[in-house]
Amino acid sequence: MLEDNPFFVLGLPADTSRIEIEREAQKLLGMLELGFADTKTYQTPLGARPRTPELVRAAVAALRDPYRRLIAELWARHAPAPTTAERATDPAEPSHPGLRRSLGWGP
Amino acid sequence: MDTPLYVGIDLGTTNSAAAVFDGERVSVIRNAQGATVTPSVVRIDKQGRITVGTRARRFLEQDSANTAAEFKRLMGTGKAIEFPANSSAKKPEELSAEVLKALRQDITDQLGVQIERAVISVPALFELPQSAATSEAARLAGFSRVELLQEPIASALAAGWRADDDGGGTWLVFDLGGGTFDASLLETRDGLLRVVGHDGDNFLGGRDFDWTITEHLASQLSVVPRRNNPEHAAALRALRLAAEDAKIELSRGDRAQVTLAQPLSIDGQDVDVDLELTRATVERLCTPLVDRALDVCLRLLSGNGLGPGRLAKLVLVGGPTVMPMVRQRVAARLESTIAEGHDPMTLVAQGAALYAATASLDGRAASVAVPAGRQVWLQYPAVSADLTPHVVGKFVGDDPPAKIKLVRNDGAWSSTEATVGPDGTFLTTVTLLPRRASTFEIEARAKGGELVAVTPSQLTIVQGLTIGDPPLSRTLGVALANGHVQVYLERGAPLPARRTFTHHTIETVAKGSSDSVLRIPIVQGELSQAELCRLVGTLDIGGDVVKDTVPTGSAVEVTIELDRGGRLSARALIPAIGQVFEHVAHLLVPDASPEVLDAAIRDLRRQLMDLRSDAFRHQLGHVIEKLDRIEARLSEAERDIDAAHGGDADAAQRARRALLDVDATMAEADLSRKWPELDQNARHVAISASSTVGEHGTDAERALLQEVLSAMEKARREKDAAELERQMRLASRLSRAAFHRTSEAWEYYFEDAASEISKMKDLPKAQQLVTEGKAARAAGNTPELRRVVNALWQLLPEDSEARKKGFDSGVR
Repeated sequence: MLEDNPFFVLGLPADTSRIEIEREAQKLLGMLELGFADTKTYQTPLGARPRTPELVRAAVAALRDPYRRLIAELWARHAPAPTTAERATDPAEPSHPGLRRSLGWGP
Repeated sequence: MDTPLYVGIDLGTTNSAAAVFDGERVSVIRNAQGATVTPSVVRIDKQGRITVGTRARRFLEQDSANTAAEFKRLMGTGKAIEFPANSSAKKPEELSAEVLKALRQDITDQLGVQIERAVISVPALFELPQSAATSEAARLAGFSRVELLQEPIASALAAGWRADDDGGGTWLVFDLGGGTFDASLLETRDGLLRVVGHDGDNFLGGRDFDWTITEHLASQLSVVPRRNNPEHAAALRALRLAAEDAKIELSRGDRAQVTLAQPLSIDGQDVDVDLELTRATVERLCTPLVDRALDVCLRLLSGNGLGPGRLAKLVLVGGPTVMPMVRQRVAARLESTIAEGHDPMTLVAQGAALYAATASLDGRAASVAVPAGRQVWLQYPAVSADLTPHVVGKFVGDDPPAKIKLVRNDGAWSSTEATVGPDGTFLTTVTLLPRRASTFEIEARAKGGELVAVTPSQLTIVQGLTIGDPPLSRTLGVALANGHVQVYLERGAPLPARRTFTHHTIETVAKGSSDSVLRIPIVQGELSQAELCRLVGTLDIGGDVVKDTVPTGSAVEVTIELDRGGRLSARALIPAIGQVFEHVAHLLVPDASPEVLDAAIRDLRRQLMDLRSDAFRHQLGHVIEKLDRIEARLSEAERDIDAAHGGDADAAQRARRALLDVDATMAEADLSRKWPELDQNARHVAISASSTVGEHGTDAERALLQEVLSAMEKARREKDAAELERQMRLASRLSRAAFHRTSEAWEYYFEDAASEISKMKDLPKAQQLVTEGKAARAAGNTPELRRVVNALWQLLPEDSEARKKGFDSGVR
């Protein structure tokens, strides 16, 4: 929600128009394909993250959907300013049922 | 020839068509008979000569044993179709390849160009094996590359492309094909087409119209032929062809005579056919079928907050929509005007050709040009809704030119000079002419200002309606040993897409042992329980292929990838042994013998009865409604199974899919039956998430949770179990994210895991971990505590019952 926020992935502010979003994505995809060095990462409040064509495409698709755009805007507006620090460790994806129970979900 | 040629093919159940787009105009290809549609019919004679299209269709009646039609429905089943005259058998994809070859030849004949790449349309709800079979058919037909596109998107693109106004608004594509019905709700804004929603009926098409009329005609004969009697098949086939012709005739006139030159042979008797059919009769017979399609449309509209009369445009696609009765009824019930000027028979092919341009898939064989001057790699959209798109480039080799300029070849516009970076890269924008192709010359200059020749020397961009990347129609994931699904790609994810997750093995795979297999099941579906999803492929890693023994708890990095046409590939990397496995066993659509279908329908009926009595007992009105719809579907399936007993393989496949569909709906109804339990869980999740996020969440998390809670409330009001589950997942994720930020989170998990130590698989290791965990907790070392907790979770056994529900998955 923060690290793959579509606005961060595209490097655009939350009030960007739809056509600008399409234009920026098309540019980024082209630059990534040709290996432009300065497009390979993007900034998030959690630090720099690698940018891939899949992420860019997913970001545009999310922003075309009004509901998903609203959520992305919400996050982008309320998020702290992006930092350039690198990620310290990988966040784990716990999948143990105990976790679900602790959150009041599941038997 | 410098003009690009984008090719689109509609490989239909009944008819196929091809179209080309040259950047300016879309043209439909005519076959040798001058027709724009080619029947998807193939005949193989005694000498092995293959006939395709209209000429083959003529033999459907007189040489039906050696003439195949409607094989598209059998795609991906692996079922061979016999041609006794030549003692040969062909798979459905081989027959489709013959149709594709014929269309490819028609393009060459008409345009003098050999085609190697194309976009082929497939039904929106095609299963993965069917898509794979379509790609295989294209390969057999000599195409070097194809992309698959969903039919409703193709027709929408074609209909939208021709629209002169871009006033936006929502519109509906009503696509009633030979075998399936698709309704798509679309929106155009700023030249971009977006699929807002989609619904359909995989078991409704022109074929049903024909059978309804055929059965009506059959009932008037002196001896009535039956679909469940294999000996009546030839008579019914002849009658059906006559019914189809009469239906077409009645699109123009009020009466048609159904007369067969030869009497039908039924139960040893010669039965003459000379019947009259009126338009009113056909309309009466077909109205319930049209209404079924309209119910789907109204459901789609209401699901998106729209009612009849709110559509900006209504586009009809497919042969049956030519019938005046269909057009009138659709327009009346949807209270909208039908957009005129679209050919319902070739719109899909036209859209596929336009899409080929969007995907930069030039159909011509790549020419091996000798580069003249400096070579430059260019990235730009072949079709752009934007009037001022970017052009990105990079010169190959050292010492690139210093400046670059793009000059539109109408002479009315040129770009400012862009500077080429020391690494040869540059970025500029161009201005397009609206609604047409613009070609730009590339002018490069060296430091001294002299012109430098470049290859390619020009580029062309078409301005017009574009569609984003095609969306994934069903959520895709990996079934886990605990019976749950790890979602890799959500429904609606833009294709192509790729995602990697790390799992852990739950059993040892011993090197050399063919008995031990690590199974990674790939499933599709919208529910979180694996058993309610469809298994679409498996990645099996056997002991006989591993370089070394893979111990329990080893990490497995699984990557799932789907290309633009929805073709699946998967890859598993086991870092411990440094080996990659890529062979996915793609599942064939299973064979459907009438006996298996009989058993399946009996079982479903039994389940239905249980569910119904339960629903009545608890007075669950919404479940009862759902079960009524299931009942109707089962009755239809029964008719198809009857026909399957009569040797109709196509009807057997139809019944199989209907039963699978019923099974899934039944599972959902079952979920609704468990509604009180789910509802209570939802309340717990809401309370827990509110408290955790309220206490530890950020502003954004709190704001988002409000959205999720509203969506949960809406799902609860509408008793939408699947949506409620989805929103519960989101709330739990938010809650988890906030909870993880607290210092006590990992201490809590540690205590929880340590309390289950007696169940763990490797007790000494577990005890060691608990000791390490206690030390980490005492030292306040959270990262270390987290490592210990993750390691402890790996040692917990999986419940065998749950594993079975997870398709015997070997990963967690």
